[in-house]
Amino acid sequence: MSYQIPMGPYHPALEEPYKLDLVCDGETVQDAKLNVGFNFRGIEHLAESRNYIQVIALMERVCGICSNIHTLSVCQAIEQVLGLTPPPRALYIRVIVAELERLHSHVLWAGIAGKLMGFKTMFMTCFAIREKVMDVLQAISGNRVNYAMNRIGGVNRDVTDPAIILLMIDDLERDMVKTIIPIFTTSRTALSRCAGIGVLTEDQARSLGVVGPTARASGLPQDIRRAAPYAAYEEMEFNVPVEPSGDVKARLVVRALEILESCRILRQALSKLPPGGLYSCPEELEFPSGRGFSRVEAPRGEVFYSVSWEEESDSPRRVHVRTPTYANMPAVRCMVRGARLADTPLIQASVDPCYSCTDR
Amino acid sequence: MSTLESISADLGLNEAWELKGSSHWLASPTLDVRKLAELMRARKARFITITATELPEHGGIALDYHWDLDGQLLSFEVPAENNQVESIYDLCEAADWIEREVHEYFAIDFSGRDYVPLMLRAGDKMGVNLREEDE
Repeated sequence: MSYQIPMGPYHPALEEPYKLDLVCDGETVQDAKLNVGFNFRGIEHLAESRNYIQVIALMERVCGICSNIHTLSVCQAIEQVLGLTPPPRALYIRVIVAELERLHSHVLWAGIAGKLMGFKTMFMTCFAIREKVMDVLQAISGNRVNYAMNRIGGVNRDVTDPAIILLMIDDLERDMVKTIIPIFTTSRTALSRCAGIGVLTEDQARSLGVVGPTARASGLPQDIRRAAPYAAYEEMEFNVPVEPSGDVKARLVVRALEILESCRILRQALSKLPPGGLYSCPEELEFPSGRGFSRVEAPRGEVFYSVSWEEESDSPRRVHVRTPTYANMPAVRCMVRGARLADTPLIQASVDPCYSCTDR
Repeated sequence: MSTLESISADLGLNEAWELKGSSHWLASPTLDVRKLAELMRARKARFITITATELPEHGGIALDYHWDLDGQLLSFEVPAENNQVESIYDLCEAADWIEREVHEYFAIDFSGRDYVPLMLRAGDKMGVNLREEDE
């Protein structure tokens, strides 16, 4: 006899408001229904009443982890409307902050995955590593969450001390290669919780339009930094890690390898940081009617922004945001079918869901 | 024939593509969204989202369907005449959530599908929040 287990909206694994109704037969999940929207904030609607400075601060609040990505996205879309191109140094700084954000997001996720596996030592190790990244972000921007780095036409702050970032990268890379990656990929405890669990096939991933590490762990080699480069990514050399197996282990391995690729990108960006100004933007902006689009590879996958503006208006006519979790989370239904009930928290976490983004 | 021209030809459209920002843009009042979804699936394009925009001076709602084809952003603008458009959910699973959201916030009816509430947790008044109050 099947029965239904409601999980959430206060979730046992992730402190985020969503609800998963699991239909089980014994300990095996047969199907699931996902409910979101418990904390929907109507940010897109609010944006229609904000001016071009306020709208950047507002969009930074879409997500508490990848706040920088949202200001980068909205600024890029507005720059398209205005026909502005930021100076080279600003484009490099955008890459540096975006990769630092990816580092702290992926390390945070590794810690949470460790905790859900019952590996609390790993959780503490990852969070200690993450603090080093947060310290660097604080040193650059003065903030730990909302960095306020992006502005229309460039960035607000310079990277004045590349040496501290390079030291942190050396430290982090050593910890990843010597400790985190070997434990996650060879420990019997970790493998028993990850390998072959929560599989999303390549066909399912394509059909559901999933993005980011979730797509790449199902064999889809899509990465906006490579497919449609923005900021200074065209000048960076990096690999796009892809794993074909589609299970929790693949999602873990892809993120771990992406941490190493982020370190590689950061070293290049810091060593080639061009001289020059931080922004190119007139004192007062006069908006034409138009639309701008921005696609950015956030830690969880592609963020899409569509911004439309009417001539002489102070506020955008429309700001539409498609966040990565919005694209990825429906795939959880496929991942949990046939899984053991006890594996479902880790399977959900393996998507690295963000409901702050989803309930934008 | 370029990729964009072949897409127009397959869709039976004569309108010209425009470059709007970073998107290749095709607007057509006669665009068949289901034919579009089938074509994009056949070409292994990735569905990104649907942007609903209320047009100025009570010009109604326009729906922009965005797809990624080998890294190129393709956008197709369709007017939602009488606030109704055919659903593509059965052809493109990825469109499920955004069709439900646009239904809730702009009162657009995607014909041929059922709705389960996505964002609105209480009440049944459709079209609230993102639609002008006097509409």
